[in-house]
Amino acid sequence: MTLDSRFALLAPKTDARPDMTKLNLIAASKLGLLSLLFSLVCSIAVAQDIPTDAASISAGEALFTANCKTCHKVHQKLVGPALADVYNRAPSIDWIKSFIKNSQAVIASGDDYAVKLYNEYNKTQMTAFTSFKDEQIMQLLAYIKAETDKGPAPAPPIDPNGKVVADGGANTGIPSSYLNAIVIGLVLILVLLVVILGFLVSALKRFLDTKELSDDDREQVDSPITLNSIVKSSGFTFIVVFLVGAIGFKALINGLYSIGVQQGYAPKQPIAFSHKIHAGQYEIECKYCHTGVLKGKSATIPSVNICMNCHNQIKEGALYGTAELSKITEAYEKNIPVQWVRIHNLPDLAYFNHAQHVNVGGIECQTCHGPIQEMEVVQQYSLLTMGWCIDCHRKTDVNAKGNAYYDKLVELHNKSSKSAMKVEDIGGLECAKCHY
Amino acid sequence: MKLLRHIFLFGSLGTLAMACGAGGDDQGTEYAPNMYHSVAYEPYTQITDPEAGAWLTSIEYSESEMPGHAEFYNSNTLNAAVMNVNMNMRTPPANTVPRNKQGWLPYRLPKDSLEIGAKRKSPLDSTAQVLADGKVLYESYCQHCHGAKGAGDGKVADKYAGIANLKGDAYKNITEGHIFHVITHGKGLMWAHGSQISPEDRWKIAKYVKALQK
Repeated sequence: MTLDSRFALLAPKTDARPDMTKLNLIAASKLGLLSLLFSLVCSIAVAQDIPTDAASISAGEALFTANCKTCHKVHQKLVGPALADVYNRAPSIDWIKSFIKNSQAVIASGDDYAVKLYNEYNKTQMTAFTSFKDEQIMQLLAYIKAETDKGPAPAPPIDPNGKVVADGGANTGIPSSYLNAIVIGLVLILVLLVVILGFLVSALKRFLDTKELSDDDREQVDSPITLNSIVKSSGFTFIVVFLVGAIGFKALINGLYSIGVQQGYAPKQPIAFSHKIHAGQYEIECKYCHTGVLKGKSATIPSVNICMNCHNQIKEGALYGTAELSKITEAYEKNIPVQWVRIHNLPDLAYFNHAQHVNVGGIECQTCHGPIQEMEVVQQYSLLTMGWCIDCHRKTDVNAKGNAYYDKLVELHNKSSKSAMKVEDIGGLECAKCHY
Repeated sequence: MKLLRHIFLFGSLGTLAMACGAGGDDQGTEYAPNMYHSVAYEPYTQITDPEAGAWLTSIEYSESEMPGHAEFYNSNTLNAAVMNVNMNMRTPPANTVPRNKQGWLPYRLPKDSLEIGAKRKSPLDSTAQVLADGKVLYESYCQHCHGAKGAGDGKVADKYAGIANLKGDAYKNITEGHIFHVITHGKGLMWAHGSQISPEDRWKIAKYVKALQK
């Protein structure tokens, strides 16, 4: 086809020899038609080599899912090219076979098509599938051909909320509809009481009206109930002073107790990292990033190279697009550490070790750090006061199972007590355990 | 008027005290901050005073090289290169070799020596304990991409294309040394995980992956 158009373009310029041009044109169009026909026949011939029976297609599908799907899709470019129509595009079926078996060798041999492909896809080497047999590759092609003929599948409807794990903070207590009903009922009862009291007041007044009363009493009975009279009454003053005083006192005590307690501290971090997405939605283990948690005092904050393990490819986030993720790339390229803001800050006078609690004690991260996998912005969940530590040491059983260190301690404990060995039983409350 | 004064007094005291608590960007009021913050540097604390450690006279820095800063600040080479990082962690001295508990030397084969690395034998025996440890480690470091059964179907695989199906034909015959090398240096689309996982743990994972493939 390209041959035809080239000649057509040339034609007006070569008006010196019109006959020759005409002749050329005819010849070219014939050639073009012939080549088109030839390629059509060829593709049919090639396509006919590919099995079309259901057994081959399903065998091919199994092979595809097991080996190819991570890098290839049929109708979409992924790590490697989209495979639709590959049997017509590639130089030959034999070429496909040798490329799948050892792409590196084909590229090294200087094959034009292979080298072009290699460069087009950022010099990413395709894994060599040396164990594939020829008929397995034909089955693969059968599957790809079946999918190609089917055409791309329509895009699945996107759930606007994404995959949000519905978890019931609200579901655990009384349902909110019940609560509303209770509140409305209580208000109704109060209104009824006011109405009844109103009736009582008017009935009493009518009764007193019939009686002979002194002037003072008469004045008392006749004086209307106004807002002013209510506000000035000593009962009202007492109630208001008591309420304000009590609430103020409670706030004061609470406030004083919160000095030095940083529960709820949720600072803005230099990069808006969401634990909800990483630990919640994608279920990445805490230890993948906080590598020190089993081995040392500090759980460690991941260095940028750990972020880059995934974010070398994932450059667009669900919440902020590229705005936040570009900061990681920049930090990585310029070799600048990210200055995260410390949230949990145990006083220097107390010693705490993550390895002892998580590795030896087998405590879940969430026990102290709360539902991290649901936190968009991490906040200090626990009090981190001494009372909080002690409380846990009193309640928690020692994770002694399978740990020879505790064998004799458990034996001794069982001699004197029938309950399970708690942390406090092996010195978990001693001052010098944490303060030294 | 007395009433109003009462209300005002308790209200303001209450509000004042409530301001001591933490929340959002506010760290809250600290009681005796000098008991909270270690005088000695902890790994992540930043150097607040670049002049600290000037009494250390054993190292002399030229003024042009490190203008106006003292030993603690200068001991991390990044501090001189990047402004306002103020890290206190030190870079290991030149020509020193770290050894671990088992006395193993660092793995020094470079990334492109996969074929040599693949020939290395695991120093661990295939005991039930090693496999159990390997499983835990696999679940921590590998599962979210490679999937619980190694089929390359972890949750992250939805986002990160090109995750190997460890049960696929191309990986069936890889050796433990091969797995160790790939965890250390990465391969293809997988990046290096050597900084996260200790050599011993890498061997344990390799053992577990071979068990998964069976």
